[in-house]
Amino acid sequence: MEKILTKQTFPQWIEKLKSYTIYAPVKDEGHWSYEILEDAASISPEYPNAVESPKKIIFPQREILFDFGSQENTGVAVNENLPAEQPTVIFGVRPCDAKALTLTDKVFSGDFEDPYYWKRRNAAVLVGLACNTPPSPNCFCLSVNGSPFSKEGLDVLLTDLGDAYFVEVLTEKGEQLVGAAGNLFSDTPDKTKSEVKKLRTEAEKKITRQVKDADRIPAKLKEIFDEPFWEDEALGCIRCGICTYLCPTCHCFDINDEVASNSPLKGKRVRTWDNCQFPDFTMHSSGHNPRPDKASRLRQRISHKYNYFVELYNEYQCTGCGRCIDKCPVGIDIIEVLNKVNEYGA
Amino acid sequence: MEHNEYIPKPAKLISIKEEVGGARAIKTFRTQFIDEHSFSHQCGQCAMLSVFGKGEAMISISSSPLQKDYHQFSILKTGRVTSALHEMVEGDTIGIRGPYGNHFPIDEWKGKNLVFIGGGIGLAPIWSVLQTALGKKEDYGELTLFYGSRTSKDQVFREELKELKKKMTVHLSVDVEEPGWQEFVGFVPANIKDKAPNPENTITVTCGPPIMIKFAILALQEFGFKDEQLYTTVENKMKCGIGKCGRCNIGPHYVCKDGPVYSWAELKNLPQEY
Ligand SMILES: Cc1cc2nc3c(=O)[nH]c(=O)nc-3n(C[C@H](O)[C@H](O)[C@H](O)COP(=O)(O)OP(=O)(O)OC[C@H]3O[C@@H](n4cnc5c(N)ncnc54)[C@H](O)[C@@H]3O)c2cc1C
Ligand code: FES
Repeated sequence: MEKILTKQTFPQWIEKLKSYTIYAPVKDEGHWSYEILEDAASISPEYPNAVESPKKIIFPQREILFDFGSQENTGVAVNENLPAEQPTVIFGVRPCDAKALTLTDKVFSGDFEDPYYWKRRNAAVLVGLACNTPPSPNCFCLSVNGSPFSKEGLDVLLTDLGDAYFVEVLTEKGEQLVGAAGNLFSDTPDKTKSEVKKLRTEAEKKITRQVKDADRIPAKLKEIFDEPFWEDEALGCIRCGICTYLCPTCHCFDINDEVASNSPLKGKRVRTWDNCQFPDFTMHSSGHNPRPDKASRLRQRISHKYNYFVELYNEYQCTGCGRCIDKCPVGIDIIEVLNKVNEYGA
Repeated sequence: MEHNEYIPKPAKLISIKEEVGGARAIKTFRTQFIDEHSFSHQCGQCAMLSVFGKGEAMISISSSPLQKDYHQFSILKTGRVTSALHEMVEGDTIGIRGPYGNHFPIDEWKGKNLVFIGGGIGLAPIWSVLQTALGKKEDYGELTLFYGSRTSKDQVFREELKELKKKMTVHLSVDVEEPGWQEFVGFVPANIKDKAPNPENTITVTCGPPIMIKFAILALQEFGFKDEQLYTTVENKMKCGIGKCGRCNIGPHYVCKDGPVYSWAELKNLPQEY
């Protein structure tokens, strides 16, 4: 289904979505972030991209898996703490970030479905905003089977036409969302389609950064696993971990107990994001570490995204959002690294 | 209610036995679930044990699946969770989730000779498969165990090993000379070279510190053992146990799910990140 919604009526649509928790990008002290929208008028999808992807809404940085405490008969009582299935709309999702969720979906399903992830994921409706202009100079979605107008993983895609949005309804969830305010949406004039096509072509032209021959990289990564290449590339790394914390596809986590009282025992088991760039991530209790240096950890980050994940799911675990390049304090640039991988020894 | 794999099931410690004292203490724990459970494991699988308030540790199930009365774990005191376990007393409650990982393909090994090679706490993962093979002795050929520890005081299952000698060939070793020690002195790979096991129709299972595994396998290869005949287990740091938290991988393999049991034929093709 394709519709037109004027920007003037946009807040009225939001008003109709009272039964949903609504997240939208909000500007705070110069940074855009997804926050719960308090006031429909403050929504402004004309933004580049949020510092953190909407992954944090589905898979929060810290969450309580269960509470535990002393109990007479069994010794310990465990109370599961699953999130409520609160219908949620996330507005302004960029296509790269929507695609990223389709990748974390793969990790959190399989033999062991992750109920914490899926409670939130199933309750979330993703309303995307096509990138008429690449949000970052480091965008490279075109190199990894993405596009600034990609619909993958979205329920609705909006394209900014100036004074109105072109609205593509892509799933049943999306239909319900638009159906909640059907009268606000009008039919699409014939010319719109070609207008959108033109916007798309122009947007694609504006993406200048490129990983060359990405399809050759998985094999190449295997080939150069033991090469000194990685030491050179990782030299500058200060192990801050920003590259993976901001990555919309990274999913590694830690599990720890937090104790409020020892007697009687009372505490929580907590899951928090973790980071393959940290030395403790893989360090055994004996002190032995299978990835003991920056080189092996950078190799892991790149190989996971461009080799292991491809082997497991036949997709890159990278959607080209450019965040890890934008924010790396020492200028490690995944595009450059990948291009060097391809050229190595050639 | 949907299944939630992160929730451990409460279990009682029904017996605790000190195997080794001192700085590298090892205790063997037997557990019984408090409520109904569907926990059923195979040889080589592991379980995530919880000490509530301290966290979780992945531990091999050292009892045989043939043993239905309890589950057994032999644990080296090394950090936060394992130290807390060592402080616990019979009747205390822990949490258990699992079983996790793949298992030794013992059904495929029927009719073959089995050589078990363990170092230190590495006897724990071997114990389950060894007891199972002993329990179905008629299904297998000759059974042999090589077991080495730093000193005789560092041996696990000391009494059980004495019993075992009546049922199968057992080659013990200690790393350095000590008064009263009648058997081999030296590292496990040296003991293997000394006893020269025959590769014909034989499977080997090696568990222990990474350095011991490496040299034991080299020693076996010298006698003509093929990669497909050499099995081992890999222990990488684990948190989730179900292939999601991302830390236990060797290349595209998650050791918690795709391991811990590997044949050398598989392992030699994976990156050396273990
Ligand atoms: C497949 C497999 C099978 C195994 N089988 C056995 C076995 O049969 N027997 C055996 O003895 N061992 C076995 N191990 C090893 C065992 O899992 C580890 O020794 C154990 O997890 C160590 O846990 P720990 O909490 O005592 O150690 P620690 O090193 O203390 O901690 C482990 C975790 O807790 C965190 N942590 C520790 N202290 C703190 C702190 N103060 N603050 C915050 N975080 C902290 C660490 O960061 C780490 O994540 C096995 C391991 C694997 C992978
Ligand atoms: S322990 Fe989490 S992925 Fe293996």
